[in-house]
Amino acid sequence: MDPLAAIRETFFQECEEQLAELESGLLAMEAGETDSETINAVFRAVHSIKGGAGAFSLDALVRFAHVFETALDEMRSGRLAPSNDVLKVMLRASDVLADHVRAAHDGGSVDEGHTAALAEELKALGPDGAAGDSSESEEDWGDFEFKPMSVDLPGEAATETAAGVGSGWRVALKPRADLYAKANETALLLRELARLGAIEVACDACGLPDLAGLDPEAAYLAWTVTLTSDVDETSVREVFEFVDGDCELEITPLFNGTLGGPDADAGDTFEPNTGGDLDISALLARVQTVADPQPPPSAPEPAAIEAPAVAPAPAAAASPVDPSPTDGPGQPRKPDAGATIRVDLERVDRLIDLVGELVINQAMLSQRVMEAGFARASGVAMGLDELEQLTREIQDSVMAIRAQPVKSVFQRMPRLVREVAAMTGKPVRLVTEGEGTEVDKTVIERLADPLTHMIRNAIDHGLESPEKRSAAGKPAEGMVRLSAAHRSGRIVIEVADDGGGINRERVKSIAVERGLIAADASLSDEEIDNLIFMPGFSTASEISDISGRGVGMDVVKRSIQALGGRITISSRPGKGSTFTMSLPLTLAVLDGMVVSVEGQTLVAPITAIVETLQPKASDVHSLGGHARVIAIRETYVPLIDVGMALNYRATPMDATQGVALLIEGEGGQRAALLVDAIQGQRQVVIKSLEANYRQVPGVAAATILGDGRVALILDIDTIVAVSRGADSLRAEKRLAAAG
Amino acid sequence: MTQINPNIPAGGLRELISFRIGAQEFCVDIMAVREIRGWTAATALPQSPAFVRGVINLRGAVLPIVDLAARLGFEGSETSDRHVIIVAQIGEQVVGLLVDAVSDILTVTDDVIQPTPDVASDTAKTFVRGLLAIDGRMISLIGLERVLPDLDLEAA
Repeated sequence: MDPLAAIRETFFQECEEQLAELESGLLAMEAGETDSETINAVFRAVHSIKGGAGAFSLDALVRFAHVFETALDEMRSGRLAPSNDVLKVMLRASDVLADHVRAAHDGGSVDEGHTAALAEELKALGPDGAAGDSSESEEDWGDFEFKPMSVDLPGEAATETAAGVGSGWRVALKPRADLYAKANETALLLRELARLGAIEVACDACGLPDLAGLDPEAAYLAWTVTLTSDVDETSVREVFEFVDGDCELEITPLFNGTLGGPDADAGDTFEPNTGGDLDISALLARVQTVADPQPPPSAPEPAAIEAPAVAPAPAAAASPVDPSPTDGPGQPRKPDAGATIRVDLERVDRLIDLVGELVINQAMLSQRVMEAGFARASGVAMGLDELEQLTREIQDSVMAIRAQPVKSVFQRMPRLVREVAAMTGKPVRLVTEGEGTEVDKTVIERLADPLTHMIRNAIDHGLESPEKRSAAGKPAEGMVRLSAAHRSGRIVIEVADDGGGINRERVKSIAVERGLIAADASLSDEEIDNLIFMPGFSTASEISDISGRGVGMDVVKRSIQALGGRITISSRPGKGSTFTMSLPLTLAVLDGMVVSVEGQTLVAPITAIVETLQPKASDVHSLGGHARVIAIRETYVPLIDVGMALNYRATPMDATQGVALLIEGEGGQRAALLVDAIQGQRQVVIKSLEANYRQVPGVAAATILGDGRVALILDIDTIVAVSRGADSLRAEKRLAAAG
Repeated sequence: MTQINPNIPAGGLRELISFRIGAQEFCVDIMAVREIRGWTAATALPQSPAFVRGVINLRGAVLPIVDLAARLGFEGSETSDRHVIIVAQIGEQVVGLLVDAVSDILTVTDDVIQPTPDVASDTAKTFVRGLLAIDGRMISLIGLERVLPDLDLEAA
């Protein structure tokens, strides 16, 4: 990737973060948090997107962002109250802004009419309406293009005398090292000031130590700026908005050049002095420390470049003044709470792989040591115990790198709810809980589709119309609750609505109509609820725009199962329904049932197993050939001998000598897998067979057990499909096509 | 069969690892060999040809083991601790080759390698890239590209 494309990519990544910030800020304001901090955060988000977009000449994006920003500025200055109506417009504006960002990223197009309409709405919120605004915006956003600008070097500035005429401001600025560490630049701030009016700059270099004492990452210089302009104080302060807290800033009004104070001619104290002692080697040593591969976390690499760049002239000279102790390296840096780094996902995956190997290796080593006859209390065994604990901790920490809060997918949902609510005409409030719950990135990515579908369903089918709700004594506004939590090593995500619950009579009659169940079947409430997960089932009597797009809950169920998860439903008539998804925290490991078949050790994914049982001779019936069925609570399910299915043996085993695993396949069909014995349950690391070999029918992947041997992970669906034979496969396809 | 290995410049020196299967001697280009390790029991793979002995754990990677004797059309090996696995890189994949013993490293020039005489055997055509006569012994140079079962051929 060429550097510009890489920067562009980073910009879009940051845009996503800013958009998330924007939306959560607006939602917080909707919930009543209208403090200036939230408003400022929202403003900054839009401002940053506009700034970055300007640098990449994304004109349409900049134009819309500017209108949005103007409206937000009104709110920030208190001229526009953050009422619910205003916030609704802004939320929709944030959606359009997101569309623009995506269009700019993928090269797609945006609905121009929609954009223009919203821009008008936003302008209407502004002070002077639409008229005078457009020309101003043109002028304003144009400034984001790159232009060569001459910047006064501090050295030169210091020799100038401060002689202001007319009213204005005196700005005393003393940056701290943090300012540079965050990649800000004094010269840019001064340039911003210059846009407000005529400025004269004096640099105070008296804090500058001699070359030997110079810390390239520290800040030594201070500036005094005399700004001749009639702008108000807020405009001046705005310039320093992004460095707030990282510098000492003093803004005092100025009347007709009457400029007082002790620092007025501070700049004169700076005189280049080449006669001082120069300890070049000590300086080089210091530079070396900065370039060390392990810089302090709060000072990223740019800081090392930034500081000398600001003061190139003084760096070559030595000042007679002692090093200033206040700003020196001894000053403790503020810990940066939200510090993050971007890392290539491949590197993380490689690390996870290696740690997986480490865990296996450690298990093997323990086993060998035990075999060698060391006592449990011996030093070797105890050392190994500690090693085991450490490797587990390492594994957990490494897995945590890939883990991300579900927030990234949850925050897409408010927009969806707004859109679906508008389409169905049902007022809906979305409540999210546990957004900080972390889960593997891959799981998050693959959660978006099923969640979208379930929330659409909840609003479209779950919630009643406002009239019905009022009649039932419920608030007209429906509620959809989306929550996430960790529960016993898995993540549990719930989508709950306070609607009418599942209409079991209707579900049952539809299932009978579609031939999914027999007309006289007696089903428990739970079984009826679960019918909606059957392929080809859709309760919407007419296919609506929102949910009934030919895909139903069976697709949701399948995608959750593909993630190694389970989905359950509980519904109470009149109170609403809750869908509960339980998912593994990562896709790199799998909860498995370790079984033995004909001397081979195999792993069956636990998510597919419903129950295990010991077949009784009276329950097993032959259907001719090797085909057998087993009676489980009066239903007959096929009994599949795993040893036969995988060609480990030529003749079927005696069912009563083995254990049957009752499993539920992708389509909800049940089967019993006959194995010799169950060894236990354990988490296994998934290893690919395809990497060095190829796909093997009936085998999903491989894993490595504690004894260092490879065990195969069963592909239950293929085993079931193969033993059902081609006929049933075709029948299933017909059924799926019919639904 | 004059083209022996496009990666080695003609006339240059090349190093070969020779090994024994039964009474026969074979060799492969040393550049393809990643490591040599002792035999460990493999986990059998269902639905696989007889010459695939299964998979073993090579430091966390799942490595298929090809019984080279069976692959070359001899009688399959009765494995013992004395057997050796040559871990070889074939394209993107890493494969273990089960052989009786590794005997030598040969440094030869290309002109020592004689073209395979025309014989009827398909196996010879598929795997043998040339013959070497070293100290009165005949050593066959094996090409590894076709060692793994061919998916397309089996599907057909």
